[in-house]
Amino acid sequence: MALPIYTTPGQRVWHYCYMAFCVFVLFFLVAPLVAVIPLSFTSSPFLNFTPEMLALDPDAFSIRWYKSLFGMCADVEDVASTMCHNKWMTGAGRSLYYAVISTVLATFLGTLAALGLSNEHMPAKRAIMALMISPLIVPLIITAAGMAFFFAKINLSNTDAGIILAYTILGMPFVVITVTSTLVGFDRSLMRAGANLGGTPTYNFFKIQMPLIAPGMISGALFAFITAFDEIVIILFIGGPQQHTLPRQMWSGIRQEISPTILAAATILVLFSVLLLTTLELLRRRSERLRGITPH
Amino acid sequence: MKITLKQTLLASVVAVTTAAQAEVNVVSWGGAYTASQQKAYQETYKDPDSINFINYNGGLGEVRTQVESGNVTWDIVDVLPSEARVGCDEGLFEELDRSAFKPAADGTSMDDDIMVEVPNDCVVPQIFWSYVPFYQEGTFSGAQPTTIADFFNVKKFPGKRGIHTWPNALIEMALLADGVAIKDVYKVMSTDAGIDRAFEMLDKIKDHSVFWSSGAKPLELVQSGEVAMSLAYNGRIGAAVLSEGAKFVTVWDGQVLEEEWLVMVKGAPNRDEAMDFLIHASTPESQAGQAKFINYGPMRASAFEIMKAGEPWFHNGKNIMEHMPNRPEVMARSVIANPDWWADYGDSISERYTAWMGQ
Amino acid sequence: MSTAPATVDGPLITADGIPLKESLQKSLRRSKIRAVLLVAPPLLFLIFLFIIPIGNMLTRSVDDKLINEVFPNTFEAFEAWDKVSEPSEEMFAAVYQDLKAASKTEIGKSSVRMNYAKPGWRSLIKVTARKIKKMEPPYKEAFLKAEGRWADTEFWLSLGIMKDKRTMGYYLNAVDRTYDFDKNVIHVDENRKVYNLLWWRTIQVSIIVTLACLLLAYPVSYLLATLPMRIANLLMICVLMPFWTSLLVRIVAWMIMLQQNGVVNDTLVAAGILSDENRLAMMYNFNGTVIVMTQILLPFMILPIFSVMKTIPPSYMKAAQNLGATPTLAFIRVYMPQTIPGIGAGCILVFIVAIGYYITPELVGGKDGRLIGNMVAYHMQRSLNWGLAAAMGTILLIVILVLYWIYDKIIGIDNMKMG
Repeated sequence: MALPIYTTPGQRVWHYCYMAFCVFVLFFLVAPLVAVIPLSFTSSPFLNFTPEMLALDPDAFSIRWYKSLFGMCADVEDVASTMCHNKWMTGAGRSLYYAVISTVLATFLGTLAALGLSNEHMPAKRAIMALMISPLIVPLIITAAGMAFFFAKINLSNTDAGIILAYTILGMPFVVITVTSTLVGFDRSLMRAGANLGGTPTYNFFKIQMPLIAPGMISGALFAFITAFDEIVIILFIGGPQQHTLPRQMWSGIRQEISPTILAAATILVLFSVLLLTTLELLRRRSERLRGITPH
Repeated sequence: MKITLKQTLLASVVAVTTAAQAEVNVVSWGGAYTASQQKAYQETYKDPDSINFINYNGGLGEVRTQVESGNVTWDIVDVLPSEARVGCDEGLFEELDRSAFKPAADGTSMDDDIMVEVPNDCVVPQIFWSYVPFYQEGTFSGAQPTTIADFFNVKKFPGKRGIHTWPNALIEMALLADGVAIKDVYKVMSTDAGIDRAFEMLDKIKDHSVFWSSGAKPLELVQSGEVAMSLAYNGRIGAAVLSEGAKFVTVWDGQVLEEEWLVMVKGAPNRDEAMDFLIHASTPESQAGQAKFINYGPMRASAFEIMKAGEPWFHNGKNIMEHMPNRPEVMARSVIANPDWWADYGDSISERYTAWMGQ
Repeated sequence: MSTAPATVDGPLITADGIPLKESLQKSLRRSKIRAVLLVAPPLLFLIFLFIIPIGNMLTRSVDDKLINEVFPNTFEAFEAWDKVSEPSEEMFAAVYQDLKAASKTEIGKSSVRMNYAKPGWRSLIKVTARKIKKMEPPYKEAFLKAEGRWADTEFWLSLGIMKDKRTMGYYLNAVDRTYDFDKNVIHVDENRKVYNLLWWRTIQVSIIVTLACLLLAYPVSYLLATLPMRIANLLMICVLMPFWTSLLVRIVAWMIMLQQNGVVNDTLVAAGILSDENRLAMMYNFNGTVIVMTQILLPFMILPIFSVMKTIPPSYMKAAQNLGATPTLAFIRVYMPQTIPGIGAGCILVFIVAIGYYITPELVGGKDGRLIGNMVAYHMQRSLNWGLAAAMGTILLIVILVLYWIYDKIIGIDNMKMG
C-alpha cells in the first residue's frame, strides 16, 4: 500500500497510524502463540522467561519438557516427574481416534443435508437449515449439560460411542455450511446434461457433483476434525476416565499444576494448526480454480 | 453334551472377560497426591499391575451416574468428607466389613485407631489435609505472624493476602481470628449473627486479597511476592519446602483440617480385588508409607508411631513430622471441618461468598 | 409413432404420452422426495441426539416431581394442617411412613432438594432416616428425640414451597428471587444476591468484547480487503492461525503473557514504564476474561466484515471522491454503510458466542471474571442443583435463540461463511 506522492503530511501521519494499528491487531492475534514456542524450551519449572533465557544462556534451555511430554520419564528430573506420564501420548491418540471417526460421520451426514437443502424444491428449507446449524450457536455448556443427562439415561455416557456421536453433532454444521457454499456456485444444468448423456443419477453424482463439492467437504471435514480434536466441554461432562483426551489432559494440567510440559504440548499443537491452515489454503485455491474463479 | 459345551464356552468367555477387566480402577485427584498413593499403595501391593489410577475433579456426579445406570466402571474413589457421608447415606458406596481391616500393632481395631469419629461403614481411612496460612521467610521484618488473627491483620503484617474462591475453611478461620473458641466455631456459624461476624472479619482483608482457585497458585503468589501471606493446602507448602527447598514458613494456628477417605463404589466390578487393595492401603504401614512422599497426615494414630520411630522419614532424608497437619501439638489448635454443617449451609454460604467476592 | 402432435388447444404431451404438466409435477415430486430423503437422516440424528437432550434438560428447570413422589403422605398431612398450631402426631406419622417406604437414594435426593427450600433439611432428614428403623409410636416423641429441630415449625412451613409438582422456584432463584413459605415471590437477602450481578456481568463482558472486536477488526478487515491478494492471503494466516489453534493452548499462551510475572508486565517493567510494585493485574480477573475472549473471538468479527468488504467495488469510493467528497467523507458516507451487513453479522456472532462462554472465564476469570456459563457448570457438577442449572440454561438459551433468529432474519443463516 504505497502512498501516492500527492498525499498531504496529515494524510501520511494518519496512514502510518493506521498501519501501526493494524500491525498491533495482527500482533495481538499471533504474539501469544509465538511466545509459547521459546518458553517451551526453558530448563526451569516456571512459566516465565528467566533472565538467563533472555541472555541466551544455553543452560537455560533444554528439551526436558518434551521428554516429559513424550513419556520419556527416566530422563526427567524430580520436579517434572509428577507431570511425566504417558497420558499426553495416549490422550493425543484418543483425541485423534474420536476426531477421525466423528469427522467421517459428520462429513457424510452433513453432505447429505447440504445436498438436500440445496435442492430448490426442499420444503421448510430455512427452518431446517437453522436447525442444522444450531449446534454451533447453542453454548457448549448447555449442549453438554443436556447430553450428560440424556446420555446417562440411554447408557451412552462414559462410552466412546457417546463421545463420537456428540462430536458428530458438533462437526455436522461446519460441513453443512461449507458444502452448501460450494453448491451455491454449482450449475444444475451440468447434472441435466449428464442425465441427457445417459448417466445414472449415482454415476452423475460421483462424476459431476462430487468433484465440485469435494473442496467444501474437505474444508468442512477439517473444521469438524479440529473441533473434535480440541473439544473440552463435552468431554468433561460426558466422558469417563477411559475417555481421557488430549484437551482433558491439558485441562487438568492447567488446573492443577501448570508446568512447561503444557507449553511443549502447546508448541506442537501450534505447529499442527499451521499445517492444517496450509492444507486449507491449498484446498481453497483448488476449489476456486475448479469453479473457474481466478484470483485477481 | 450341548449344554456342557455351552457352559464351557460361557465359562471361558467369562474367564477371558474377567481376566481383561481384573484391573481395579482407583479414582483420585491426580498430581503429587496420586503419585504418593501409587508409590505407597500400588508399588507395595502384591500385584501392582492390577491397579489402575484415574484422575477426577471431585464430586459425586459421576459415581451417581454410574450407580444409577448400572454401568459401574470405578471401583475405589478418593472422596472428601461430605461426599463420604452423602454417598454412603444415598447407597452409592458399599458398606464394608470393618473386621476385615488390619488392627494396629497393639491390637486396637482400625476404627478405634482413626483419629476422628468414623462417620459410617463405607469409609476407609486415607489422610488429613488442611487449609493453612504461610509466608516466605524474610517477608516481615521484626515480629513474625504466629496466629490466625495475624493473617487477618493487615495493619500489623502489611501486604496482600491470597485466599481461595470458595468459602470453606475461610468462615471458620475468620471466626477463630475474631476470638471464637475452637469448640464453639460451628455453634457460632449456625447463627446468622455468626456468619455476619465472619464476613465482617473477611471484609478486613478483602481489599488486600488476591483470589486463587488452583492449588499451585498460592505458592506462585507467595514465591513471586505478589502476596505477603496466603492460605494453601498444607501438602503443597510441604512439597515445596521438602522437595524444592523453598523457604516457606507455615503458621500452624487455626488451620482447618479436612478428612480424605477411600470408598468402594456400589456394585464395583472388581469387588473382591478392590477390597483386598483397600485392606492393603489402610494398614498403618501403608499409611505411614504414604507420608514418605507427601506431607498429608495419616488418619491412623498408629501410623504416626511408625513415622516417629523412623525419622527422618521423608524419602529424600528430611524430617517430615514438622509438616504433618495432624500432629498432636498442632491438632489442639485446629478446627476439624464439619461436613454436616457444610452439607446444610454450604449452598447458601457459597452464594453469599460469591456475592461478597464479586462486589 | 404414438406421440400425438401438440395442438394449440390440447395439453402439451411428453414423449411418453403423459401430459407435460403432470410429468413436470411428477418430476418435481420426485425431486422433493429425494431432497427430503437426503435431509432426513442427518435431521433425525440431530433431533434425537441434540434437540431432545436439550429439551429434556430444560424440563428439569420446573420439575419438582421427585419430592412429591417420595413424601406423598407428608404433603397430604401438611395440607390438612392449619399452619399455626404445633405439628401433630399425624404429621409425624406421615413423615415416618414416607421415610420408611422410600429408598436411600430417594431420601438422599429429596433431602438435597428440601435443603434448597430451607437450609438444615438435609441433615435433619439424614439423621432421622438413619434412626427410622428403630422408631416406634408415638412418632412425634420419637422424632423429637432423634432430632430436636423437628419442633421448629419453619421446617414444616417450608414444605409449602415444594408441594406442587411443577415449580417456578428455580427460575426465581436464577434472578435472585425466591418463594416465602406462603409461595409469595420475594427478593433473597441482600448479601446473597449473586445471579443478577452475574447476568449483568455476562452481558457487560459480551458487549465489551463485541465492541472491542469491532474496533480491532474493522481497520484490519479493510486492510485485508484492499491489499493485493497475495499479501492479503499471507496476513489472513495471522487471522486464521489463532482460529485453528487449540483453545486451551491460546489460554495458556495468554497466561504467560498477562500474569503478574508475565511477558507483558516484564517488558513494561524492563522498559521503565511500570515500577516493579505496580505490575498490572491483567489475569485471573475481569480484565483477563475480556482480553482473552477478545482475542479468541476476533476472527469471528474479521471474517464476516472482510467478506462483505471484498464485494464492495473500489470504484464507488473513487466516484465519490471525483464528485468532490474528501476521502474521509467518502469513506463514512459511501463505504461504511455498505459494510453494515458484515458488521451486523460479526457483532451478533461474537455476542452469541461470548454470552455462553465457559472455559475461558473458568480458567482466567479469577474472582470477578466469571460468567453465567460458569455458574451453570458449577450447579451441574458441584452443588448438583440441576434444577437451577437448567433454569439458568433455559434463560441463556432463550436469549441466544432470539439473537439467532434476528441474525437469520437480517443476514440469513445460509450466508454464514467459514474460513
